[in-house]
Amino acid sequence: MIRGTVIGQVWGTRKARGLDGQTLLLVAARDADGKPTGRVVVASDTLDARAGEDVTVAFGSGARNVLRPGPENRDLLCDAAIAAIVEGAG
Amino acid sequence: MFLGRVAGTVWSTVKWPQAQGVKLLLVRPYRLGDLPPGAVAAAGAAASEPTDDLVVCADTLDAGVGDDVIVAFGHAARVAVSEKLPPGSKPMVPIDAAVVAVVDKVEIPR
Repeated sequence: MIRGTVIGQVWGTRKARGLDGQTLLLVAARDADGKPTGRVVVASDTLDARAGEDVTVAFGSGARNVLRPGPENRDLLCDAAIAAIVEGAG
Repeated sequence: MFLGRVAGTVWSTVKWPQAQGVKLLLVRPYRLGDLPPGAVAAAGAAASEPTDDLVVCADTLDAGVGDDVIVAFGHAARVAVSEKLPPGSKPMVPIDAAVVAVVDKVEIPR
């Protein structure tokens, strides 16, 4: 997972069917010092995260488990998802 | 997934048969500094900006050079490509990155 900050949202009408209904947010990754690394990821959001909020993003099967927990989720089109809204980090 | 701009295409004749007919694009990921100024403001600070590698992506949405696209990696990429295969086919194509959406709008609060 990575930690980052939500910076915006992205839309497309021409898309794979598996993306239907997913909210896609732009997240700027942060390094160990809390500074942006420059890397920007697109993550599926189910937690209603807002721009400016710090979040964690899970990748791969971890991301699918955010959308639908359990072993039967390999049909999902999701490789990154917001797993938590961060309140504090030390 | 990441947001990127299509920079070119790649083609080949010698490849795994499962990759036959799969169009390949070169996509340059957007970095924080490439986005509108509101992005840096939301992130709290600018970042040092090394250049990312171009990513070779399968494309089933007919994206063209200059289009902004969302690219998925890994199993999600194979799921996207297998949508174009007969129902029930397993996503066994030898790819690990695919265009999953052509972007209409990016909204970054000011």
